[in-house]
Amino acid sequence: MSSLSRRAFLKRLAFATDTARGGRTPHTLVCIFLRGGADTLNMVIPYANDAYYEVRPTLAIAKPGSEGRKASLKLNDFYAFHPVMKALVPFFHDGELAVVQGVGSDNTSGSHFEAQDQVEHGESFGKKLGGGWLGRHLRTRQGGMTPLSAVAIGKSLPEVLRGAPSASALTSVEEVKLTLPRGKSDSVTEALSKLYSTDIDVLGNAGKVTIDLLSKIEKVKRASPRNAGNVTYPETTFGNALREVSKLIKAEVGLEVACVDHDGWDTHFFQGAADGQQASNIEDLSNGLSALYKDIQKYKERVSIVVLTEFGRRIYENSSMGTDHGRGFALFALGGRVNGGRIFGSLPELKEQTNFFLGPSGLAVELDYRSVLSEVVRDLLGNNDIAGVFPNFKPQKIGIFHA
Amino acid sequence: MERGGKPRRVSRRAILKAGALLGGGTLLSGCERVISETTERLGLAIPAHIAVGSSTDIDPVFHLLSRAAYAPWPGDVARVRAQGIENWIDEQLEPESIDDSLCDMRSRRFETISMRPGDCYEFKDEALRNDITRHTLLKAIYSKRQLFEVMVAFWTDHLNINLEKGDCIYLKASDDRDVVRKHALGNFKDLIRASALSPAMLVYLDGKENKREKNTDIPNENYARELLELHTLGVNGGYTQKDVFEAARCLTGWRLHQRGEFAKGSVYFDKTFHDDGEKIVLGKTITAGGGDKDIDALIEIVTAHPSTARYVAGKLVRFFVSDEPPPSLVERVAKVFSAERCEIKPMVRMILTSKEFSENRGNKFKRPFRFIVSSLRLLGADTFAKSGLTEYLSRMGHGPFQYPTPDGYPEEMSPWLGTLLWRWNFALALSFNELDSVTLHLDALRKALTSDREPKVTADLLIRYLCGRTSRASEVAALKAFQQPDKSDPNTAGTETHLNELLGLVIASPAFQRF
Repeated sequence: MSSLSRRAFLKRLAFATDTARGGRTPHTLVCIFLRGGADTLNMVIPYANDAYYEVRPTLAIAKPGSEGRKASLKLNDFYAFHPVMKALVPFFHDGELAVVQGVGSDNTSGSHFEAQDQVEHGESFGKKLGGGWLGRHLRTRQGGMTPLSAVAIGKSLPEVLRGAPSASALTSVEEVKLTLPRGKSDSVTEALSKLYSTDIDVLGNAGKVTIDLLSKIEKVKRASPRNAGNVTYPETTFGNALREVSKLIKAEVGLEVACVDHDGWDTHFFQGAADGQQASNIEDLSNGLSALYKDIQKYKERVSIVVLTEFGRRIYENSSMGTDHGRGFALFALGGRVNGGRIFGSLPELKEQTNFFLGPSGLAVELDYRSVLSEVVRDLLGNNDIAGVFPNFKPQKIGIFHA
Repeated sequence: MERGGKPRRVSRRAILKAGALLGGGTLLSGCERVISETTERLGLAIPAHIAVGSSTDIDPVFHLLSRAAYAPWPGDVARVRAQGIENWIDEQLEPESIDDSLCDMRSRRFETISMRPGDCYEFKDEALRNDITRHTLLKAIYSKRQLFEVMVAFWTDHLNINLEKGDCIYLKASDDRDVVRKHALGNFKDLIRASALSPAMLVYLDGKENKREKNTDIPNENYARELLELHTLGVNGGYTQKDVFEAARCLTGWRLHQRGEFAKGSVYFDKTFHDDGEKIVLGKTITAGGGDKDIDALIEIVTAHPSTARYVAGKLVRFFVSDEPPPSLVERVAKVFSAERCEIKPMVRMILTSKEFSENRGNKFKRPFRFIVSSLRLLGADTFAKSGLTEYLSRMGHGPFQYPTPDGYPEEMSPWLGTLLWRWNFALALSFNELDSVTLHLDALRKALTSDREPKVTADLLIRYLCGRTSRASEVAALKAFQQPDKSDPNTAGTETHLNELLGLVIASPAFQRF
């Protein structure tokens, strides 16, 4: 191939990706997964329920208005946020942050890996579906894909994106480049493109997506310095990941789904209360979310952030001042189209379930996680094919988002 | 002791003699340069000629060395072909019988690897992380006990421990040595028993916090759950939440001397923290008053359970044969597991000599560690595994002992598909000999691969050498631009660049990502 046609080839590649969605700006979902089973009972504190203080003698968080900075932060007459969630309280009162209580899956295995897979796949316990729910959404929705339509910030693609027509994993925008010590990188890129385009299975597709990404990412790199805001993100893996998400949103490259993991919620041992292991995790989460939301204020009507985990934890603390695997959890939704300032669902009874020996106890699951995600898919992402994304499931109406 | 009598060792005199022939040091540190040149003289060199096969399907010896080893070292294919596949497997199953002194010269230099947990507390985290990571890489690249190293990787994932949790960084070296390496080809029950009381595991899965001091104390189930779910029966192995709870009760009271205590890092049993009542695990009763013997009863019950045989067999077959393990082979291997009372060698031998193993060639995807190590071995690279290598591993999300959760790094392809760009960058840096801390002898390799009959390094020749089969027309077409040397002068720098690019592209190609 001559160098002229090589240039034409690369140009065609870049052109194809730019027009994939016909120029329409899609809604962006930022999906944050708290890995390890987050103890949301110590994030959204049911301070008006005395049972909470009885079952958690050392781990309970003090009522709002208690002495010192360790008091929880009042949301309404029943609930309060953990003291380190200060940055999120204004979003709740402004009506842009909502909590959905008692969410979970029917998974009773108590296994992180089973429960995460199930939530990411969007399936019922023991009924395996191919791929993740976001993967199926991206396949069933209208329109084409670019390598920046679906992005996971991190080193690997999560299960939730499995089966997506294309998806990219990256830890930062800047690092996405092909480095050739000497010679012309165009011809190397072209050879790679040919090698991977004749490979028929998913590996061939991954190669094509990667080459596509290399050309598409240039637009984000060019836009980034212009759009640098003056928001401070936490200097943590999570904070850095959210900063990359904001770059992709602000560069307007058609980002539809961004997945970010937040690790370390498996607090079997010395969980801590107002301070400690879990508190520093919550603080990182809270400050990161707040920074991202401030950073993308201009775009908030078409950006939504959803935070979920694989299961909640036991109501009682164990003998090593931690909590073991439980069931139901509270889910968070933040964005301009969230019916915020509300806690959807009710707090399940704070008592260990009687089937302790059959399945892990903890908060009862009153709302299937897919009911929440169905509203995300239909009301935010504009995909009406709920049966295609969550087969054999009838969602319960909650009403978390508005038009 | 292992059968086969005294291991063959390179004599000390031979090492000294080879070392004495060397001149003064240049770029590498003096010690490393001596090791590089000594090991080269004693056999870790690229042979004068490498016979490159031309089989249309992946060559059976190449296949064996891709799965049961981290790819052939230059010259290995011919050597194993002459030795015979079965003989090679027999030899590899007795790792002690194989002289590994050349590898040891590189990998023994990390002092914390051989220390007791307590002594590791004297070192900085960075030094400990550096030692164990580089030791693992150097063993994988240079050990002649390749099957052993592959099994070490398998059990390291099976019994995953993350260096970065709690005090694990001080304790993992002993886990690697006294649990994983000690039992990698031994007995599964011994392996699990050792792991259960490994200081690093007691920290990683909170076993040291699992106690019953007061009647109201609820056990910490973390380890017990993973013992059943990940280490033995498997998540669908038929245990209940009650079994998890009862197993956790059996394990109460095993503790670890903490930092600041004299015997820090050592394990002890505290009967006042043990729940000494009767337990029922998987339908079997463990009578009250068992004390520190409860753990043995528990390990006996869980390792003898038929689900464990199927689960371990299935995982081994997935690892060696296919991400979709052929059920008939899993069944046969599970029978061997039960009949041979948890012995690991008979299972591995059965898998490697099976029809299913031989039929499933090139259908697995190299995880980043194998991608890197296989490229270095095939090219006969000289390295001391410094940050140039470890940074690539960590960027691809596959740093040794860095996986956060107890399920270990995934074996299947899909989670790794996002690493292609990094593989390409690695391949290009390596083939241009610009990878920090790695030296390739490309001239020697070029001479060894070419012959009168095949005087030029072509795309086809490189694919045959690096992927074990003849090239496809589409591959040759994609690489065509890089294999026509400048006609006016075959020795120009431009030609050299083409060889570098060609080599890099083959390593970056889809075929090399599979094995």
